[in-house]
Amino acid sequence: RKSSASAPKPLFVTPPYVTAVLVKGSFAPMVQLPPHIDRDEWLAANVFDFFQFISLFYGTIAEYCTPKECPTMSAGPGVDYAWVDGQRRSNKVPAPQYIDSTTTWIQGLLDDPDVFPTKSGQPFPKDHLATVKLIFKHLFRIFAHMYHAHYDKVLHLAEEAHLNTVFAHFMCFAKEFDLLDKKETEPLRDLIAELEGMNLC
Amino acid sequence: MADSSTSDSHDHAADFPFERSTEGFSSATLERAATAKYKLEVFYKNLLDATLERQGRLQDLERKLAAESCSEERKNRQIQALGRKESDFLRFRRVKLGVDDFMTVKVIGKGAFGEVRLVQKRDNGRIYAMKTLRKSEMVKKDQLAHVRAERDLLAMSVDQNSPWVVQLYFSFQDPVFLYLIMEFLPGGDLMSMLIKYDTFTEDATRFYMAECIAAIESVHTLGFIHRDIKPDNLLIDQSGHLKLTDFGLATGFHATHDSAYYQRLLDSGSSGKNGSINLNPNASSRTEQVLTWRKNRRALAYSTVGTPDYIAPEVFLGTGYGKECDWWSLGAIMFECLVGYPPFCSDTPQETYRKVISWKNWLAIPEDVPLSWEAEDLIKRLLCDAPNRLGRNGAHELKQHPYFRGVNFETLRSTRPPFVPELKSITDTSYFPTDELTHISTSVGGSEDQSAEGGNAAEGIFKDLAFVGFTFRKFETIRQNIE
Ligand SMILES: Nc1ncnc2c1ncn2[C@@H]1O[C@H](COP(=O)(O)OP(=O)(O)OP(=O)(O)O)[C@@H](O)[C@H]1O
Repeated sequence: RKSSASAPKPLFVTPPYVTAVLVKGSFAPMVQLPPHIDRDEWLAANVFDFFQFISLFYGTIAEYCTPKECPTMSAGPGVDYAWVDGQRRSNKVPAPQYIDSTTTWIQGLLDDPDVFPTKSGQPFPKDHLATVKLIFKHLFRIFAHMYHAHYDKVLHLAEEAHLNTVFAHFMCFAKEFDLLDKKETEPLRDLIAELEGMNLC
Repeated sequence: MADSSTSDSHDHAADFPFERSTEGFSSATLERAATAKYKLEVFYKNLLDATLERQGRLQDLERKLAAESCSEERKNRQIQALGRKESDFLRFRRVKLGVDDFMTVKVIGKGAFGEVRLVQKRDNGRIYAMKTLRKSEMVKKDQLAHVRAERDLLAMSVDQNSPWVVQLYFSFQDPVFLYLIMEFLPGGDLMSMLIKYDTFTEDATRFYMAECIAAIESVHTLGFIHRDIKPDNLLIDQSGHLKLTDFGLATGFHATHDSAYYQRLLDSGSSGKNGSINLNPNASSRTEQVLTWRKNRRALAYSTVGTPDYIAPEVFLGTGYGKECDWWSLGAIMFECLVGYPPFCSDTPQETYRKVISWKNWLAIPEDVPLSWEAEDLIKRLLCDAPNRLGRNGAHELKQHPYFRGVNFETLRSTRPPFVPELKSITDTSYFPTDELTHISTSVGGSEDQSAEGGNAAEGIFKDLAFVGFTFRKFETIRQNIE
């Protein structure tokens, strides 16, 4: 075990908060590709839902995610995400700016019919899976930031069961289609282990 | 072993009780949190259903194919086709539909909460009827019912394409309106027919009543009580057959059915000089009342008050009611079809309401209207107290009534209706009172609406929550879009 006795366990991996969820049973059957359905379409449909949910959640704590409170996009001790701009320059920016850039970029992809086709019969681009993976990576980071930096607000607003449910669903989906690198999920390793222990994902 | 310092290093919640408090949170944040939580609860409740429905569609097809003795190749092709439809269904769910995707051809109807237009979908040119409902009006009338109605509406999408119910294809919303995109029935409604012809022959009446029975029965089978069956809700399709509309919405959205509402209506009627009630029922003659009623017929249909002419007395009384209240409505419509006006018609809704409550004193079949004994008997067996009403044990009781002798209820929809609309094109609106409706603006959600509604923040949260999950698409549409 890496977590030492000196670093207190965060509340989000502590009962009763960690065990609060909206559903019973595993998400596994819900995330599997339904028979005869196009895989790309299934990925797209789910990406849309997860993006919408994360935006909903972030909206509830956005007021507290300010450059002053969150000068970096942090996800626990020693984890600070840098924003890679158009010129591939890596910058440490405040979390609200990071999240705003990320969500604007994702929304742009989702609204682009060349990336997410809307007309019947129009195929997805060849790199669809890569796009979905990239989006998942960034959505994960927003989850990680909310859990690590804003969990007190989540508790005050009594939305921990909702957040856990969406996160468990998200992780279950990511696992089913191998959308997230193990390395990427480190910041929420303990939480994921707990949710797996509950057989949710 | 028992080392106190070890136990101290465990951070149980009990050791650091977290005290929840929303003090100091802005109302905007609290509102967003409530909405987010509610949306997610709705989503996860529906997720399982959506999965099961999808499985059900596949199983249905597999069963059907197993019963047919067709080639493996053909079976495969059909299964693949369903897979493509399901995939397209997922795709269409991603595409945001909005009012801009539809072009208004004409306003064809008006209701209490908005209007009905004939519209054309811009991308494929398909024709639909679009009903708009003003959210603020609905919130004013009744708050919680919306959530219920929304659920009913979703339940309706599971409906196995009943030929008796107007199909709802899409619905969406903007800050001011809810939009329902339905199939367009070009033949108009029974109210307009009655305005045009005054009465129907017994044969024509028999046909419409038989179709009504089948329609009401299909609604009851789905577990709904319509409660608001009236000639304006009976629409005539391209071939002249009937379909019921306003189903699902009727139960939830309309506080007009609430007995307390009627009580207020009654109270308002007994005070004030304009609404003063007539203590002498003969003050205006029957003929005069019928004339007033005819004159006001459409205006009444357009008003929020609605017409109580067809609503069963037990619905008003608030003492509980069951499916049989819809059979009362049928009786009232039948009376109107044969006699030319509904049985309790009066100068004002208040008076009608009183007459319905004490129907025993008011129900009279005019002597100058020749009715067959079967027709008269059926009317009397429907316009009576709920425990004695025909149909309380099921629609078969009505079907077996002598009035329907010779009617085959199984093949109703393939018999020739007494009136078949003559249509010049798919957008022919000659069966709708479009001239009377022209004063209504043809733009929806104009800027004045937006700003007028935006002001009240406190009401906002209820408005939003009430309509969460409202947006939906019907699987069947996707099928239509492909075929
Ligand atoms: N699908 C449709 N196709 C053609 N015409 C329709 C359709 N739906 C409604 N109409 C027309 O619009 C009129 C009003 O519609 P509807 O009765 O649904 O609204 P409403 O009066 O608001 O109902 P209620 O007040 O009972 O909710 C109908 O009487 C009918 O003439």
